[in-house]
Amino acid sequence: MTSPTTPAGKRVLSVRDLTVTFQSERGPVEAVRGVDLDLYAGRTLALVGESGSGKSATATSIIGLLPPGARARGEVLLDGQELLGLDDRRMSAVRGRRVGMVFQDPLSALTPIFAVGRQVADAVRVHSKVSKQAAWRRAVELLDLVGIPRPQLRARDFPHQFSGGMRQRVVIALAIANDPDLIIADEPTTALDVTVQAQILEVLEVAKAETGAAVLLITHDLGVVAGHADEVAVMYAGRVVERAEVGELFATPAMPYTLGLLGSVPSPEATRRLPLVPIEGEPPAPSQRPAGCPFAPRCPLVRDDCRDKEPALTEIRQRHDVACVRAADVLGRRPEDVFARAEEPAVAPAPAAGPVLRVNGLGRTFPVTKGAVLRRRVGTLQAVSGVSFSIRAGETFCLVGESGSGKTTTLLEILRLRPPESGTVEVLGVDVAGLLPAPERRRLRQAVQIVMQDPQGALDPRLPVFELLAEPLRAAGYAAEATRDRVVEVLDLVGLPRDSLDRFPAAFSGGQRQRLTIARALATKPRLLVLDEPVSALDVSVQASVLNLLARLKSQLGLAYLVVAHDLAVVRHIADRIAVMYLGHIVETGGAEELFAQPRHPYTRALLSAVPIPDPERERSRERIVLRGEQRSAANLPAGCVFADRCQLRPTLATDLQELCGTRRPLLEQSGGTTVACHAV
Amino acid sequence: MVRYVARKAIGWLAMIIVATNATFFLASWFLDPRSNYRELRPVRTEDQIAHALAPYGLSPRWSVVHRWWYWLSGVVLHFDWGHSPTGVPVNSEIPRRALVSGQLILLGVVASVVIGVALGVYTASRQYSLADRATQTLSVVLFNVPTVVSALGLVLAAVWLNQRVGTTVLHVAGANTAGVDGTWATILDRANHLILPTVNLTLLGYVGWHLTQRSLLLDALGADFVRTARATGLTRTQAIRRHALRASLIPTATSVAFTIPAVFTGAIITETVFGWEGMGRYFTETIAKNDVDGVVAVAAFGAVATAVGAILSDVATVVLDPRVRVS
Amino acid sequence: MTATLPTGSLDGPLDAPPGARVDVPPPLRLGRLRLYARRFARNRSAVVGVIIFVLLVAYSVLGGLFTPWDWSRQDFLALTQPPSGSHWFGTNQGGNDIYAQSVHGLQRSLVIALSVSVLTIVIAAVVGAGAAYLGGRVERWALALIHFLLVVPSFLILALVSNRVSGDWRVLIPLLTVFGWMFTARVIWSVSTSLRERDYVLLAEFMGVSRWRIVLRHIIPHLGALLIVNFTLGIVSTVLAETSLSFLGFGVKTPDVSLGSLLADGSGTITSAPWLFAFPAGLLVLLTVSVTLIGDGLRDALDPTSMVGGRA
Repeated sequence: MTSPTTPAGKRVLSVRDLTVTFQSERGPVEAVRGVDLDLYAGRTLALVGESGSGKSATATSIIGLLPPGARARGEVLLDGQELLGLDDRRMSAVRGRRVGMVFQDPLSALTPIFAVGRQVADAVRVHSKVSKQAAWRRAVELLDLVGIPRPQLRARDFPHQFSGGMRQRVVIALAIANDPDLIIADEPTTALDVTVQAQILEVLEVAKAETGAAVLLITHDLGVVAGHADEVAVMYAGRVVERAEVGELFATPAMPYTLGLLGSVPSPEATRRLPLVPIEGEPPAPSQRPAGCPFAPRCPLVRDDCRDKEPALTEIRQRHDVACVRAADVLGRRPEDVFARAEEPAVAPAPAAGPVLRVNGLGRTFPVTKGAVLRRRVGTLQAVSGVSFSIRAGETFCLVGESGSGKTTTLLEILRLRPPESGTVEVLGVDVAGLLPAPERRRLRQAVQIVMQDPQGALDPRLPVFELLAEPLRAAGYAAEATRDRVVEVLDLVGLPRDSLDRFPAAFSGGQRQRLTIARALATKPRLLVLDEPVSALDVSVQASVLNLLARLKSQLGLAYLVVAHDLAVVRHIADRIAVMYLGHIVETGGAEELFAQPRHPYTRALLSAVPIPDPERERSRERIVLRGEQRSAANLPAGCVFADRCQLRPTLATDLQELCGTRRPLLEQSGGTTVACHAV
Repeated sequence: MVRYVARKAIGWLAMIIVATNATFFLASWFLDPRSNYRELRPVRTEDQIAHALAPYGLSPRWSVVHRWWYWLSGVVLHFDWGHSPTGVPVNSEIPRRALVSGQLILLGVVASVVIGVALGVYTASRQYSLADRATQTLSVVLFNVPTVVSALGLVLAAVWLNQRVGTTVLHVAGANTAGVDGTWATILDRANHLILPTVNLTLLGYVGWHLTQRSLLLDALGADFVRTARATGLTRTQAIRRHALRASLIPTATSVAFTIPAVFTGAIITETVFGWEGMGRYFTETIAKNDVDGVVAVAAFGAVATAVGAILSDVATVVLDPRVRVS
Repeated sequence: MTATLPTGSLDGPLDAPPGARVDVPPPLRLGRLRLYARRFARNRSAVVGVIIFVLLVAYSVLGGLFTPWDWSRQDFLALTQPPSGSHWFGTNQGGNDIYAQSVHGLQRSLVIALSVSVLTIVIAAVVGAGAAYLGGRVERWALALIHFLLVVPSFLILALVSNRVSGDWRVLIPLLTVFGWMFTARVIWSVSTSLRERDYVLLAEFMGVSRWRIVLRHIIPHLGALLIVNFTLGIVSTVLAETSLSFLGFGVKTPDVSLGSLLADGSGTITSAPWLFAFPAGLLVLLTVSVTLIGDGLRDALDPTSMVGGRA
């Protein structure tokens, strides 16, 4: 599947000098500035960029769905037909017929009050005069094509009866209903779990093969790009800054920004944990772009002339364009040669105390109720069952699993510091279920703090930074003087300037805000920091510096981390030990090195294989396990192994062993380097 | 669907029973039927008064529970809703009045919902246009006009119109003209009398529907699924009509029931101003005359009206939202 | 249980990075008040509302000074006279000066409306926020009560009770309060439940911040705007309810007057003596419309996401 050097298919779409202007409170803002793109039949162009780069605006202006008030200029030629400036009626003849689109959030993309079959059939009938019955038959065919099981039956179901992954399949069916020449996929897998992401990307490949269409894939995930794109265009601040064949781009990037992006992404395959190579600063807001090259303020190779004039996109090699005056100096260099790698934190002598946190047999259920007035309990949702682990000071323990695996419930049960429904939670060797004197309980409270996924939601927008940082200290009984000192101390610790104290959270960028929440969590000198998806809300280029900060703090302060993350590359980068959860159970646990090198449990293996690797060669050559189906509901756990229904290993086993998988739940047992709950290993 | 609506209807029936019985106790507590006799000359003794009230089950010598039981068994066994303190049977008043008020409330609600929702849909698809701003201003002002003022204002306007034209174009008093014969003449006459009160109820009622439907549809217009529908090749107008509109009507349909009490209150005042002998007038009269049984009948009527509205809105919800049928 | 969704890559069409919010609250408390005032002042109709409302209040308090007539005094030489130099708003059948009566009636209506509004907002806040925070059975019962009261023909009960106490305007205040708080309580409840779910509230709990402190620092400030706006709405709905009651003869009764009872008096002679109806009606509409305009202006000024308030 290596990309050919010359485009094979015919040119479907050509975009020239596309400029998109939005009206904002501060006057018109150019979200897209002079973008050129070419798409060829049967080939995928990936448009890569961070938030604010203009990649979505580019896509929506091609399909003519810009919000009111936005204006697109330039040229968008679909097979020679100019699309810009077409009125809604003429454009609607193009949409769905010649251009299909797949959106980011499948949960809200389908009309809730129509059956999915009807929606697909309607999409067919918009452009072709066929009978209702014929359209319905075609809809069922399409649903079958995108991998909806029992399409005949499921076509009559409504969107809320489908999972996110299944709904995204329906959206893809809508997009290809009329055999389009171009499919635009705008972050199609961002809202989905990795194993589901792998399935959806495969369905997109099927759709491409079936229709022979050109695909415009918009994503921020370099791993997805490596696996599925033929060509890549990198966008920054509304412009394409580099464009090349996928192999060429990953092997020899010529723009410092591209190089920086590649350096700041942790690789799920890295063996030694070096600090990441971060890009300093954050992308500029569309209304505050600097003159000259917009990347200049963050670029380590910046020259004076960079700040004067924005460089044009020019060809430096065959089919490799870049907009950088220093491209020749970048070519062939590695990220760490150009960007300063953060100092490797000195390994702190680990305090030889007992575990900071010990969880034993933790369980949590939720009642499933029905009816509005008289709620009756119709079942029990077993969110977490029999989870045990312990964390030492200076150690990072990661809980890994997909949504619904119970990892967040586990965190919340620990943070509550109340007697759990079943099992025990010990913090600093003290059982939280016991009768504790108030000061002792407060000590435990201070010892465990949390950093949440979304820094915007975690900070009360109405309080200035000083108040935000002082709040946990006051709750812990610090005096006014001591509070002030400590606030300044933690601000220094996370590298925020002291004049931040009077400002409100809204005045900070995403990365700075996450530093604030970290500072806040550190205020009471905790021993254990619970990190719930600490970087998933941040832009790729910002993630690296936050991850480096966390690594530095851990060794500096001898902290223990309990991390929940869905991005296995991030997990690989920070974890010492890992527990893989499925349906509320730990199915495998062990050291990070061992687990990544030799996963034993079939689910762990499938999970790891689903993680895209940001390296086209490796990504395309490795063998991959794509799981069938989806995680079942925790409301009806099977008697046997929780993973048995999706297990790729089970069909290959002997009949009696298969029987065992279906009837008895396996226990965690030492096997090789890790501890695994599986009958077959 | 039938099962769903039936289940809801049973719930509302229970609500009617509870509300009606609760009103009986409240009315018994706050109204004193004896006062109708106290002002009579010659002065009656308490014994005489009690004696006079006894045949109607209103004797002050009975306990409240006893009176309630008398009233309840009358209602349940003979559908006899009792008597006024002066012996006028409630049943002789109700059918005529209920019909009069029923048509007024029904017309008022239907017209309000239809006009309000239509305006909301029209203005939402033209957000910030002149028509949108103008109707919104008008609605906000109308929303703040008390029923009394709007009713009297309509009367003034109609009287002025009648004087200008020289004949009675619009009737401003009563539900019908005495002495009108013939089917068509009667219908026309009644319809004419209905115009102003209905307009009044509609003026007050439509505003809420206009403003909520407007914001509901605006929310739906920004929804992702409308964008998806457009991406399949529908024009903006088609996508609004086929996807956004129907989704945005569901919350409107479900809230119809909760507006009936307010419409009923509006009807009380409207009937008073326009001199209609309906349930609304009956309401003020019975309270003024300490007529416990009459008040309870009015409350029952109000509850039935609410329940009918609620069931209609349940049916509308089921029709609009197929998910209800599925789950 | 959470959908792990990296919002940093939610590349919305506006492509505005999270840091680019326009409304950055200034650091000082006073500064923020001034900001709200500026946003409010930019809203022309709200300013008009304030002017009308202030004039109405001034009229109700000071209006009596400009006329020799007292609201209860009767001028038997001028029965049912149209507006003139000596009786500015004319007189009624009993020879009462309508100007003086309007002053008094407006005062009554204002006092009733303001006190009922204050009381209902307090009850609504306590019940609504309390139900949201205590949750569980308390929440269910509170909601059941609210729903029941919303469906019950409360006007009937109001009429029953106020008729019994025969026209003492002070009794109207608790009465209207009892049947006026439910809707606001429901709104506050639903907003509070969403506040309860906010990450920063959860975080404060995990940090060991006490429950009442969380309510005080993280909940009440966020409800503040809502409470103020609902307070103004409460004024309007109370005026409307009081007017209806008094008009039907169940609220303020003769010899006392309110705007509602004045309307009732005027309704009988609407064609022969329209001034009896027109002046109280005009005042009433001015009152409700001005309060609504103020309420709208406040909502836009206090809501940081509102576009109507313009840039600040």
